Amino acid sequence: MSSNDILLQVEGLTKHFPTNNGVVKAVDGVSFDVKRGTIVGLVGESGSGKTTAGRCTLRLIEPSAGRLMFDGVDLRTLSEREMRVYRRRLQIVFQDPYSSLNPRLRVEDIIGEAIDTHGLAKGTARRDRIAELLSRVGLNPDHARRFPHEFSGGQRQRIGIARALAVEPEFIVADEPVSALDVSVQAQVLNLIQDLQQSFGLTMLFIAHDLSVVEYLCDEVVVMYLGRVMEKGPSRSIYAKPRHPYTQALLSAAPIPDPKASRQRVVLKGDIPSPMNPPSGCVFRTRCPFAIAECAQVVPAFDTVGPEHQVACIRHGDPEVISQGQQL
Amino acid sequence: MSELPADIVLRVDDLRTHFEAGDRVAKSVDGVSFDVRRGETVAVVGESGSGKSVTSLSIMRLLSAPGRIVGGDILYRASDDRVLDLAKLPEKAMRGIRGREIAMIFQEPMTSLNPLYTIGDQIMEMVQLHEPVSRAEARRRAKRMLELVEIPAADRRLDEYPHQMSGGMRQRAMIALALACNPKLLIADEPTTALDVTIQAQILDLLRRLQAEIGMSILFITHNLGVVAEIAHDVVVMYAGRVVEKASVDALFDNQKHPYTRGLLACIPNATRDRAPTGERMRLNPIPGSVPSILALPAGCSFAPRCSLVTSECESNPSLLVAGPDHLSRCWRHETL
Repeated sequence: MSSNDILLQVEGLTKHFPTNNGVVKAVDGVSFDVKRGTIVGLVGESGSGKTTAGRCTLRLIEPSAGRLMFDGVDLRTLSEREMRVYRRRLQIVFQDPYSSLNPRLRVEDIIGEAIDTHGLAKGTARRDRIAELLSRVGLNPDHARRFPHEFSGGQRQRIGIARALAVEPEFIVADEPVSALDVSVQAQVLNLIQDLQQSFGLTMLFIAHDLSVVEYLCDEVVVMYLGRVMEKGPSRSIYAKPRHPYTQALLSAAPIPDPKASRQRVVLKGDIPSPMNPPSGCVFRTRCPFAIAECAQVVPAFDTVGPEHQVACIRHGDPEVISQGQQL
Repeated sequence: MSELPADIVLRVDDLRTHFEAGDRVAKSVDGVSFDVRRGETVAVVGESGSGKSVTSLSIMRLLSAPGRIVGGDILYRASDDRVLDLAKLPEKAMRGIRGREIAMIFQEPMTSLNPLYTIGDQIMEMVQLHEPVSRAEARRRAKRMLELVEIPAADRRLDEYPHQMSGGMRQRAMIALALACNPKLLIADEPTTALDVTIQAQILDLLRRLQAEIGMSILFITHNLGVVAEIAHDVVVMYAGRVVEKASVDALFDNQKHPYTRGLLACIPNATRDRAPTGERMRLNPIPGSVPSILALPAGCSFAPRCSLVTSECESNPSLLVAGPDHLSRCWRHETL
């Protein structure tokens, strides 16, 4: 695959938040590529830094370090003014469809605001565009003058998606867009996301903690833990043969809706450590069933274990680790 | 005194809990019945607005106005083998039941623990409220409880405040508090929903282990069918205030006899089923529409407007029909499934 196929290249992305008690290393040297027209899943538990990383890629949070190569330009080198042009190409859909829509605005103004900001349409054209967007996301265009509270959670999420689409973006960060929805409604929104991705050729970074949603929806997966990437690669390869002990534990912990499913469960001890004081060496070692003394000394580098499949663990080649990954 | 088979700890029978405001009545729980057997776990599954949480609050008699139980029985077999109807028990007697006989844990431990008291103080208060023990003995009990739920350094943790603990630790502390007086029934309302999957796995393991050791019964409220498969013996599926399907966990996952349950399972993404061998994604099969408002339920079967099997028969509401051995379904067409 040539580098032209990569729309977004994140390199060494870092975000440190200084606090009175020390520095919170929310994101610490994260690198991954997003190929044009694909959906990349960013997974991890709370505190893994996945949301911060997602927002940093759009400079909604200003990164502390790293490069954000978007279509050949490092977004971090752009001035606010220059960035505005790019904002049209980069959009975000938020998790909570209740707090991410202004309750005082009508739907037509929520969507219209984006159109106005970028001067894309006026008058009748603007109205037509809003109506078209609403029907595109499966809402009744006649409801454009309604307020957010008149819609259900799933419908609001559709409004949030219509708002993101209003400026015809190329790249969308979707931050847990279905987590707040009822299961029966989740599937509707996932179908919509797929339809839109295909018909608009969208590229997406899909942030989620629901591993079955990610396995289904995403072409590639990046697994984060405590601000760092543990493993990344094509989702089929990662779900079939997870090579990092953390990915293995995460996949084995996800409940399967089948009481007869036999499975080897890796139950991790304890909780995720504080990002203020992450463990030395490999940040996962304090909960890792395979940790050895050396894990405290070196930050593991990425090793390639399959086509585009990379893992950051010094013991990934150990027969014990490999066999645990195969038993899941 | 009402009769209750010896192995049944709790029998909810035709429970009706309504919320009345002016001339509007929300029938949040509309004729719900199920049994919880000794030492077993019953999962109540449903989406938002299904009435699952109101059912659990009704059992604990923790409803806030204008919600009230307007009909039905909640038969509970107490430790002294008396059978009590909790739906009609005076509030004073109910206070002897809560915590001591039936305990409850909630989704967000931070809001159910008192932020101003240490974990130790809260467990000790609970023990001393129900049992005539000294402070020193209560503290020993509290420490034993923290050890039971596998909180490391229990002695030190006793003197910590809820905010000093992580989400998983707080849920463990909450469970320790709930089990301090050795209740026979634990009601767990979405206890792992706010937790990460690795922590959720720990808590489910813990509940299973405690159940095996102590023999308590669990009423587990959840929206997550994956969790149901892991923890339940029996399953009650609720929709819009009513039970729509009831079966053992194996029977339910083997063969759903209600289109709603079937639809719920079909719309959880499953890469093995929903992606072609080439990796291509196939479309998911969502249930169309959304959960109806409890104030504007359709006449007849509440699920009919979203159901693909709907016929004219569905204009009248079916009762729970026998769909197999110990398998009930509120669907006229369960035989076609």
